[in-house]
Amino acid sequence: MKWLLNFLKGKWLKHPLHPIIVHVPMAMWPCALIFDLLSRWNGNVMVRLSFYAIIFGLVASLLAVPSGLVDWSGVKKEKPAWKIGLYHMILNLVVALLFAINLGLRIHTFREAIIVAGAPLALSIIGTVLLIGSAYLGGLMVYDYGISVGRMSKKKWRGIAKAGGANLPAE
Amino acid sequence: MLKDFLEGKPLRHPLHPFLVHFPIGLFILSLLLDLASLGFPSVPNLVRDAFYAMLLGIITALIAAVPGLVDYTDIRSDHPGKRTATTHLTLNLVVVGLYGINLGVRSSTLDQLKTPVAPLVLSLVGIALLSVSGYLGGRLVYDEGISVGRHKRRTPTPEDTLHLAAELGEDKRADTIVVPVPEAESLGEKETLRVQIDGQVIAIAKLDGNFYAFQEFCTHRFGPLSEGSFQDFNVQCPWHSSCFDVRTGKVTQGPAKVDLKTFKMERRDGKICIDVPRAKSRDPHDQET
Repeated sequence: MKWLLNFLKGKWLKHPLHPIIVHVPMAMWPCALIFDLLSRWNGNVMVRLSFYAIIFGLVASLLAVPSGLVDWSGVKKEKPAWKIGLYHMILNLVVALLFAINLGLRIHTFREAIIVAGAPLALSIIGTVLLIGSAYLGGLMVYDYGISVGRMSKKKWRGIAKAGGANLPAE
Repeated sequence: MLKDFLEGKPLRHPLHPFLVHFPIGLFILSLLLDLASLGFPSVPNLVRDAFYAMLLGIITALIAAVPGLVDYTDIRSDHPGKRTATTHLTLNLVVVGLYGINLGVRSSTLDQLKTPVAPLVLSLVGIALLSVSGYLGGRLVYDEGISVGRHKRRTPTPEDTLHLAAELGEDKRADTIVVPVPEAESLGEKETLRVQIDGQVIAIAKLDGNFYAFQEFCTHRFGPLSEGSFQDFNVQCPWHSSCFDVRTGKVTQGPAKVDLKTFKMERRDGKICIDVPRAKSRDPHDQET
């Protein structure tokens, strides 16, 4: 069990895993919206590309869930970042669900369609807006609250601080 | 102003790590579509779709490069992460160059059912290099703390560490060395210097017209206090927001639990000087020479 937790935290990689995996849905879904819009000029090529992008994003987002949960479980509940993480998670679930529905709406038509219909297009727009909001919260956890920052490099920095004559906490 | 915007300060979030999601995701998508075209040549337009994913990947990579360069120039030149950042930057330029060639090579084969070998190989090499580069970019954030909490600081951060030594004629046996810091004269309010004296790394801040000196490293995860932000007489670590009173070194807000070392600053003969206790008890031979 412990090895699984360490795997999901990215210890083997010396880099948290969740922010790596999320590059895929974060790129795919807004780009699906771009491809939806481009289908007005480029027809079925873009309808298909958008479809593939949504699928790829969904598969990766499923992989991102366990690593995200493990990272979040490491945040203390009384910290502001815990609540941000909670909103981030709920929003992500909503976004993934919206893109799953979106995919279902186009699965029978993407082979021939030369334009994306109103309902899936609307879902792409709403999904993208919510996703950007959610990803921003995820980014705030790192860049504003320092979640996962200095976690795996603690030893290295301790050595640098010690060499620099600093007061140090007990190990 | 423009620099602050490109560093994402109004957003409290750097722009570069946000924008890079797009080229990373799109280049991988492009490779997957290439592979799909080999496995399912009967599916139309896979080769074309791989081309368009790559094209958008290159466009977004070029956009991401702009704030990336600004972030790079803001890293202190002797920061241990600077070399990683240089590698990251160089690799990314190579990757974009490779994808530019890749796009040109495949532009004449869009009507084929399978992606030809040459562009496929270029994509594989591109993804391999991009993975390494992206990984290094992540290490810059998670290990080196680059751009973490940067938006909290309103004034410029030190570009370098000043290596200072006691003036000639100093009593080598004294427990404390007194070192003039002429560079402090040009500090603005809430600005800092990062200095190294006798092996000790020290941050010097100007607050309310006075100078305060304290250890550079936060006692929590050793974040850089010379890049911290100031409120009254508190310095806040950019990484996890631990606060310390710069006058006494006392922790005023966790997660840090251990107080900072502080150093006395005073004017001597009109010069701003810092008093630094010798780092460690030395070999007696050293003291004699």
